[in-house]
Amino acid sequence: MWVQVEVFMQTLVAGILLGGLYALIGIGMTLILGVMKIINLTHGQLMMVAMYIAFWMFELFHIDPYLSLFIAPPLLFVLGVGLQKYLVNPVLKVESILPHNQVILTVGIGLVLQNLATIFFTSDYRSTPVDYASSAWYLSDLWAGTPVEISLSLPWTVSFCLSVSITLLLWFFLAKTDTGKSIRATAQDKDAAMLMGVNVSRMQVITFGLGAALVACAGCLFLPIYYLFPALGSQFTLIAFVITILGGMGSTIGAILGGLILGVFESMTATYVGMGWAPVGRFAIFVAALVFLPGGVASLLKSKKLTK
Amino acid sequence: MRKWIALAAACCLTVMSMTAFAQDKIALTVPLPLTGGQAKFGEIIKKSYDIALEEINAKGGVNGKQLVLSYEDSQGKPEIARSIAEKIIDVQKQPVLFAEYTSACAKAVAAVAEERKTPYMVIASAADEITQQNYKYVFRLNPTNAYYSEGLLGFMSDVVKPQSVAILYESSDFGTSGAEEMAKACEAKGMKVLMKEKYEKGAVDFKPILSQVKAANPDVIFMVSYVMDAALLMRQIKELRIDAKLFAGGAAGFAIPEFIDNAKDASEFVVTATLWSPQVPYPGAKEFAEKYKTAHGSYPSYHGALAYSSLFVIADALSRTKGMTADDIRDALAATNMKTAFGDVKFETKNGYQNQNFAETLALQVLGGKHETIWPEKYASAKYVFPIPKWRERK
Repeated sequence: MWVQVEVFMQTLVAGILLGGLYALIGIGMTLILGVMKIINLTHGQLMMVAMYIAFWMFELFHIDPYLSLFIAPPLLFVLGVGLQKYLVNPVLKVESILPHNQVILTVGIGLVLQNLATIFFTSDYRSTPVDYASSAWYLSDLWAGTPVEISLSLPWTVSFCLSVSITLLLWFFLAKTDTGKSIRATAQDKDAAMLMGVNVSRMQVITFGLGAALVACAGCLFLPIYYLFPALGSQFTLIAFVITILGGMGSTIGAILGGLILGVFESMTATYVGMGWAPVGRFAIFVAALVFLPGGVASLLKSKKLTK
Repeated sequence: MRKWIALAAACCLTVMSMTAFAQDKIALTVPLPLTGGQAKFGEIIKKSYDIALEEINAKGGVNGKQLVLSYEDSQGKPEIARSIAEKIIDVQKQPVLFAEYTSACAKAVAAVAEERKTPYMVIASAADEITQQNYKYVFRLNPTNAYYSEGLLGFMSDVVKPQSVAILYESSDFGTSGAEEMAKACEAKGMKVLMKEKYEKGAVDFKPILSQVKAANPDVIFMVSYVMDAALLMRQIKELRIDAKLFAGGAAGFAIPEFIDNAKDASEFVVTATLWSPQVPYPGAKEFAEKYKTAHGSYPSYHGALAYSSLFVIADALSRTKGMTADDIRDALAATNMKTAFGDVKFETKNGYQNQNFAETLALQVLGGKHETIWPEKYASAKYVFPIPKWRERK
C-alpha cells in the first residue's frame, strides 16, 4: 500500500515542479495576450533562442546555465522589443484581408527563427552536462524511517524556486511600479489608458520584450534538465497557449495556477494512463477549459471574489 | 522549351554518372543521417568509411579502380532517405546501395531498392522485419534485434540470474522491435516480464513511468533507446534512486561515448548489448580501433566497425562481380564469404530471414567512465562488476 502512496506522491511532486516551469513559460504569453491581444505563436522559438545563447555561453565560456539567467533574458528582451517595434507594430497598422494577421506574422517569425537556428547550429542535439544534473534531495536522508521515498531533483527544484522568485518579481513590478501599472492599464482598456497619458505604444513594446525575457528565463532553467535542438520550440508554444487559455487570457495569477494544474494533470496522466497519453491529457484539459470554463481559472477566481 | 532543357540536362548527368563507372574510378553515393537527431551515429559511420576508403584505395582500389565516396544527408527522416535512394538509383544509375542508420530509414531505402531491383546492404539497422520480407535484393551485415541481446542474455542468465524484467522502449521501429524480441527471449529463459512500456522519443520527464517501474521492483531494467533518451532515463533513474540488480541497454544509444558524456555518473555500471568491441580477435579489428582512436580521440562504437567492414564487403563484391549491372552485383554480394574486422561475413537465408549475416554479440559495461567489454569472458577487456552498488552507496 505504501508503494502506491509513494508512486502518487512522487508523481505529484514531479507534476508540481513541472508546473512551476510551465507557469513561467505561460506567463510571458498571457502578458502579451492581455496587453496587445496578440497570440504570440513564436513564444517557443524565443525560448529556443535563449537556450542556444545559454548553451553557447556554457560551451565557449563555461558559464553555468543558471548564471546565463543574467545574460539571455536581457538579450531576449532587446530581441522582443525589436520584433514588436519593427515587425509587429507596422503590421498592426495596416488594414488587411485577415483580421488577425499579426498572429500569422508571429508564426512566420517563429519559422524564420527555427530555420536560422537549423542553418547556423544544425539540428544536432546539444546538451549542457553539468555536474549537478542528476543530483537530488531524498526524504529518506532527512527522515530515516520514512515509509515512502520522495526525491526532489536538484535542477527541477532550483528551476521551480527560481520560477517562483521570478514570478514574484514580476508581480512586484506589475503591482508597485509605474511602468507596471501603466502596462496593466493598457491591458484593461487601451483607449482609456491613452487618454490618461500612458504611452501605449511604448508599453506594448516593453510588454513584448518582457514576455520574451520571461520565456528566456524559463529556457535557461530548462537547459540542464533536457537537451536542445532547433525544433524544440513548437511544443512549448503549444503548452504556453494551453496555459494561457486554462488560466484566463491576460491573467498572471491564472497562468500560475494554470501551469500548476497542467503540470500535475500531465504527470498523473503519464503515470496512471500511460506515458504516451500525456499530450492527450494536455489537449483534453484544453478542450475542457474552452468548453466549460471559457474565461479560464481567472474567471473562477473573479466569480468567487478572490481577485478583482 | 524548359522541359527540353531539363531533359537534356538529365541525359547529360546520366551519361556522366554512367561514365564515372567506366573510367578508372568507381563513384558511390552513401545516404546517412549527417544532421538531426541521429547525427552522432552518422558521424561515426562516415569517419569509419573514410578510414576504410583510404585503406582500400591504398591497396589498389577495386580491380585497380579507385573508389570514391560521396555522402547525402537524410537527416534521419525516412521520407528524405527514400528520395535520396530514388535519386541514387534513377538519376545516378548506381547499381548498388548501402548504409543508412535508423531502422525506419533503412526500411524506406530497402523498399525502394527492392522495387527498383537494385541490391541494398543494410549495415547498422536492427529491426527484424527488414530482412524478413522475402526481399531478394536486400542484404544485412549486422545481426538483428532478435540477436542483439544474445551476448547480454548470456551474461544475464549465467551471472545475474534475474527472476523479473521491466522493459522500456522508444516508440519507433527500432525500439518496438527490440522490446518485442527481448520480451520473447526473456520469457523463453523463464524471466517474468513485469512491464513493457513504450515512450515517445524526446520525452522530457520519465519520472511517472519510472515510478511505476520502481513500484514493480524488477530485477533487471532493460531499455531500448537512442542516445539522449538513454542519458535522460539513467539520470532520472538515479534521481529516483531506483535500485535494480542490473540496468541494461539494447545497444544504440547506450553503446556510444555520448551516453557516458551526458549521463555522467548515472551511466556507471550500466550494461549494454553490443555487436562489436575493440577487443574482438577478428582480423583488422584492433588496428581499425587504434586508427580510429588516433584520428578521433576515442574508440569507435560497433556502428563504426560495421561501416568500416561494410565498405570491404562492397569492394569485395565489386571485385568479384561478372558485370556492373544491379543483378550481377546482387549475385556477387550473395556469394560473399569473407573475414572482416566485424567478423565472418556470409549472407544466409534461414530462421525466417533472407540474406542475413549472423554474428556473435557481446556485452559492454560502463566502468570508470568508459565502456569495457565484459561478456563473453573470452573477449573481455575488464572483469564485470556484479552485484552493482546501490545508488545511495555510490559516491
